[in-house]
Amino acid sequence: MNDEVAVTGIGLVTPGGIGVKSTWETVCAARPTAHTDPLLSDMPVTMSCRVPALPAGRGRLWRFDRGTRFLLTAAREALDSAGLDPAEWDPARVAVVVGTAAGGIDTLEAQHHKFLTTGPTSLSPLTMPAFLPNMTAGHLALDLGITGPSLQTSTACASGATALITACLLLKAGACDIALAGGTDAMVTPLCSAAFAKMGALSKRSHDASRASRPFDKDRDGFVLGEGAGVLVLERGSHAAARAAHTLARLAGHGTTSDAHHPTAPHPEGAGLRAATRAALAHVGAAPEDVDHINAHGTSTPLNDSVEATVIRGLYPRRPPSVTSAKGALGHTMGAAGAIEAALTVLTIAHATTPPTANFSAPDATTDGIDLITTAARPHPVRLALSHSLGFGGHNTVLAFTAP
Amino acid sequence: MDRVYDHLVTLLSDKFEVDPERITPDTTLDTLELDSLAVVELYVTLQEQWQIPLDDSTASGELTVADVARTVTTLLDAGEPAPGQAVQ
Repeated sequence: MNDEVAVTGIGLVTPGGIGVKSTWETVCAARPTAHTDPLLSDMPVTMSCRVPALPAGRGRLWRFDRGTRFLLTAAREALDSAGLDPAEWDPARVAVVVGTAAGGIDTLEAQHHKFLTTGPTSLSPLTMPAFLPNMTAGHLALDLGITGPSLQTSTACASGATALITACLLLKAGACDIALAGGTDAMVTPLCSAAFAKMGALSKRSHDASRASRPFDKDRDGFVLGEGAGVLVLERGSHAAARAAHTLARLAGHGTTSDAHHPTAPHPEGAGLRAATRAALAHVGAAPEDVDHINAHGTSTPLNDSVEATVIRGLYPRRPPSVTSAKGALGHTMGAAGAIEAALTVLTIAHATTPPTANFSAPDATTDGIDLITTAARPHPVRLALSHSLGFGGHNTVLAFTAP
Repeated sequence: MDRVYDHLVTLLSDKFEVDPERITPDTTLDTLELDSLAVVELYVTLQEQWQIPLDDSTASGELTVADVARTVTTLLDAGEPAPGQAVQ
């Protein structure tokens, strides 16, 4: 029986705006969101991609880290778009799975600064509950009165995608009927920015911020640090059908592998990403030539984009899929990226439109030979689309979405 | 005292999202639905805003708004506050 997981709602908070609509428009227009960031003025890299204004709303906002506020806002939008009302569901049959790389690092950093400058007396009693990485999931369950399983997944920049896969497994195991799954991170802080800069991971193009994030481009020199949240509502197909919910796309398969190669560098031939892709396609029962589109990880770092393009060139010799990276517009939203890009992949299927990659002008030898969408969005039917997410630690995830 | 009380009402309504209509001098923090962490956060915030050694180990939900204002006022009178700078 075909009872694949249905995506019935999405919610986004990104540097492109608060909400799915403004984010989709930003990405489709290839409009970069990187700007000089006053909070990073003393740092080696002084730009970031920020969520434009903190979501308004009432209810214990003083308790939450910035990332949790993003998540709660995205989750509400996702529920609305799924036509779900927390007053009407059985809360014990709903799960929450949230990916985050760094939890409430923004709170931890601010409190630690206070601790060092004025001592322990002035520490907020909320330091721990705002910082602990699981608390994003815990706060979301509390906010919506959800009493089923709730947990956090952490696979660095693949965290949001890992959350979606974990939610699929919970649904398939019958542990819940509905899952709110996604990712959130608010890592645009002086410490995180400086630490990434020290690794050489960030673009140094602060003087030309809007052109700094340029996935697959020959002049790419690193990623631009971003922040945000993405939430998807997932249900088994039969559950969605029983409540006559509109299915945007199906999360029909997934693959997860580990490189076991290096703490932070991808495997030089992308062996782990290739294996994760094959696993996802096997899960769907599809062949490489069935893939219409890939929403790439595409961070704009020299190494990631080379390896990813190499894998794509090798896997799809007969019928190359269209490829895009949202990070040219939105920057790298860390643990949220896998969920935000999963949502964008769903929208690509729903709108039969592939957004372009911002700031791409020309490939180098390593990124050439893939069908990268540049300049303008391309209308084309998308029946099977993959979303790649890779994380420090050698985590590789591939999500396979199909048209409903 | 009045100035401290008024500030406390503003803080409770702005940061802790308590409906100002519910706040009277005799209302306890429990009644305003501040839990134990919120009460300590209130004390830490007052420490910072008034630059006073307000001991948060004495913070309790059973205290009334007037109790808290009185403690702050006593500490302000004992020290040499610079209100223009201390009150945000």
